[in-house]
Amino acid sequence: MGKPTDLVQGTLDLLILKTISLEPMNGWAIAKRIVQVSGSVLQVQQGSLYPALHRLEHQGWIMAEWRDSENRRRAKFYSLTAAGRKRLQSELDNWHRLSNAIGLVIEAV
Amino acid sequence: MRWLTIVGNTLRSLFQRRRAEAELEDEFQDHLEREIESNIRAGMPPAEARLAALRLIGPIAFHQEACRDWRGTAYLETCARDLRYAVHMLRRTPLLTAAAVLTLALGVGANTTVFTFVDNVLLRPIPVRDPQQLAFLSWSARSVTISYPNYTDLRDRNRVFSNLIAYRYIPVSMSVQARENYRIWGNEASGNYFETLGVRPFLGRFFGPAEDDKPDGHPVLVISHRLWRNRFAADPNVVGRRVKINGYPFTVIGVAPPGFGGTELIVSADYWAPMSMEPRIEPGNDWPHSRYASNIWAMGRLRPGVTRAQAEADLNRIARQLAETYPDVLDRKSRFHLSPPGLIGEALRGPITGFGVVLMGIGGLVLLLACVNLAGMVTARAADRRREIGIRLALGASKGRLLRQLMTESLLLAAMGGLAGFAIAFGACKLFSSWRVNIDLPLETSLRPDALVLGFTAAAAVATTLLFGLMPALQAIRTDLIPSLKNAPGSRFRRWGVRDLIVTGQIALSVILVICSVLAVRSLQHALALNLGFEPAGAVSASFDLWLQGYDKGHSRTFDAALLAKASALPGIQAAGIIDNFPLRIGEDNSIVSRVDRPIPPPSERHGAIVYRISPGYLRAAGTKLVLGRDLDSRDREGAPAVAIVNQAFTELLFAKENPVGKYFRITIRPSDPGIEIVGVAETGKYESLGEDPKPAVFLPIEQTGTEGMTLVARTSLPPQQAVEMLRKTILDLDPELTLYSVGGLKDQLSFPLFPARAAAIVLGVFGFLAMVLAATGLFALMAYAVARRTREIGIRMALGARPGRVLSSVLKRTLVLCAVGVSLGALVTLAAGRLLAGVLYGVSPRDPVTYATAILLMSLVALLACWSPAARAIRIDPARTLREE
Repeated sequence: MGKPTDLVQGTLDLLILKTISLEPMNGWAIAKRIVQVSGSVLQVQQGSLYPALHRLEHQGWIMAEWRDSENRRRAKFYSLTAAGRKRLQSELDNWHRLSNAIGLVIEAV
Repeated sequence: MRWLTIVGNTLRSLFQRRRAEAELEDEFQDHLEREIESNIRAGMPPAEARLAALRLIGPIAFHQEACRDWRGTAYLETCARDLRYAVHMLRRTPLLTAAAVLTLALGVGANTTVFTFVDNVLLRPIPVRDPQQLAFLSWSARSVTISYPNYTDLRDRNRVFSNLIAYRYIPVSMSVQARENYRIWGNEASGNYFETLGVRPFLGRFFGPAEDDKPDGHPVLVISHRLWRNRFAADPNVVGRRVKINGYPFTVIGVAPPGFGGTELIVSADYWAPMSMEPRIEPGNDWPHSRYASNIWAMGRLRPGVTRAQAEADLNRIARQLAETYPDVLDRKSRFHLSPPGLIGEALRGPITGFGVVLMGIGGLVLLLACVNLAGMVTARAADRRREIGIRLALGASKGRLLRQLMTESLLLAAMGGLAGFAIAFGACKLFSSWRVNIDLPLETSLRPDALVLGFTAAAAVATTLLFGLMPALQAIRTDLIPSLKNAPGSRFRRWGVRDLIVTGQIALSVILVICSVLAVRSLQHALALNLGFEPAGAVSASFDLWLQGYDKGHSRTFDAALLAKASALPGIQAAGIIDNFPLRIGEDNSIVSRVDRPIPPPSERHGAIVYRISPGYLRAAGTKLVLGRDLDSRDREGAPAVAIVNQAFTELLFAKENPVGKYFRITIRPSDPGIEIVGVAETGKYESLGEDPKPAVFLPIEQTGTEGMTLVARTSLPPQQAVEMLRKTILDLDPELTLYSVGGLKDQLSFPLFPARAAAIVLGVFGFLAMVLAATGLFALMAYAVARRTREIGIRMALGARPGRVLSSVLKRTLVLCAVGVSLGALVTLAAGRLLAGVLYGVSPRDPVTYATAILLMSLVALLACWSPAARAIRIDPARTLREE
């Protein structure tokens, strides 16, 4: 197993927010989805996802509810709150600004 | 609104912890199962699938802990855990904990009580509108009264006050129902009194300037809320009711709001009547028309923007005009002084502030002592826990975390001590409030702790914690790991140097307080044995006011004669006499006296003397010794030549070494006054306060002058109670409507003049005792700790053949040196500062050797007692066992 790429500090929040902006998801699905969508480049140590989820929940960006999932097993589903949606937008803007800036620097001749 | 969500989340996780825990567990379980399923679906065997899942998720417990951190309750939970731990630790040493709480409670309680006093008397404003705008008028030379004509001139001519009020505290006899009289104190007040103070009536209305316009014009009365409840059964229809004041009908027009008892904080008024009703309130008195009779107090409300200094300047301008117009009344040098309202100008503020400052100072010192002891206790406890703390530090506990835990313990102690202290203070205030001085004055003694006091207690407790908890805690976590794990004694010697100093300071401080309290107690004994100019033992008295019952001069003369005849004839009464105002109460009548054979001196060189009016037989009844000449007798009746008895101080003042008997003096400033002949000289006594210098006094025959109030004094061999009852019956037989007051043995009635001395003795005694207890426990703790620390060393020494005596001396030597240094230091400081005490001491030198010897002996005894058990433990050490233990 390849060493997972460490996430840039603070980007985990962005990834989580973005991932659940499409539909409510449980923790496991979020982890899988991040790995899958990033083409296995971004490896999240699955356990460390949860403290981030709990923090975001406590801060009111996302909310969680227990509901029955496909095989009638109860699971905790996270979804964006209204505040979280705004937060995602500003995080995205930040990210774009940052990555553009980095891009400019490293591609300058 | 996001913060609402956050608060909601925090509260939810706080109160639904169990559910949150279960959910956390379920969430991770769910994740694992999904991962395992997914692995199996990908073709792994179940066991391997499970391992892979576990590997991928990482350390579950660690992640769960991280999740818990985000609940926002981590801080609170840690606190709760620290608290539980602290309770556990404190319960492990119940005796030490109890001692600590008690120490703190006493220190905080004493300070809270003192602060309540300061708060009630000095900090709390009087209950009127904008009290800071009010200013009390007094002459700079401590004289607080002015005359009514001067008041009206000041009121009309000044440019600095929006209003100037005049009032006078005066007792009246009130009758609500027929044949039922009460003596109540209250104010005659100028018509603008209530509108100036801005007080609103509780019921009915107040009187205004229109009802103070002509003498005897409007017999209206405002009563206090307290009087309304106590004497009118809180009658809602009280407005309009007729009552009799000194036998004259008045109409109640209003009730003052609860808590309002006039403008002075320590005497409360129960009624208010317009000043123009003076002829009914003090019948036969004519002071409102005299510039010589200074009988009222005045208080003004400053116009906005006017400072006290500006106001004083304006008043002094008027004073100069008055001095020019009335040169025989006012000295050109007379100056006005303005002071904040509430304490009768500066007359009471000065002494009370001084008393308060001294109390706060002593209280603070005692609290400091308590802190020092607690710090010692906490340090000792922390030292015992060196090993535990060392282990925890080695395991990676952060120093901040440990500090927090140690401080939680201290805070818990402080909270318990603070609560108990507040309870003590509350009890002390209750006790003080229920205390009644046997004196004819409505003294306000209630002390009420309020929110400010509670805040003070909390602040004191927290400050205490920081003082006694922080230093030892910081020291504890600075521990070196290695020696502490071995539980070896560290280099603690140097550290104890500070503690040695502290214990020395404690001993010195308690010696100071003990000396002061012994001085105060001895001075109290002296005061009781002081030559008062009368002999309190074996004498009783009862006071009453004939003029309040509408007696005229002729009537009261008949009454006096009948009363004296009956009282002297009673079995067991050796002598009976009447005086208008018994010495050492209040309201002495001062007059300017001068020799008839010399011209009347200018205002600045005049001397006053206290004037008493007595009947024949008074001097014998009171036990006042006649030094020269004769006593008054039946010859000195109305129409006979005016005569007087003077005291020795009076003789020295006017006649120096001449024999005064047969000489004449004036008590007026009319040059045409033929004067009064001196027929006798009595010993000088105490008239206004016990601490006063000898004051000149004059005794005039009551027959020739008439009188206002009266006190019947009788010398008796009977028990005071029995004699008093006989007198009461005799007086009421003559007139059943008379109101008697200040009834009892003369000895009991000295409680008012003795109050300052008694207060000093009680306060110093309590604080001295506290300081002594604290010093003793501090010493005990120091000794006990020193012995415990040296157990091993002592064991070895004894094993090597040291005798118990040697061990004892080696243990005690240092402590005894500390004690000796502390005691001598304390004694020296008191010697140097003793001057400050002179004001409250009677007949005892602040350097009284007996006191010093007593205090030093007492302190040494206490120190020895404190050292005894630790020292005894040292020589009982069993070498074999000690050595084996290590």
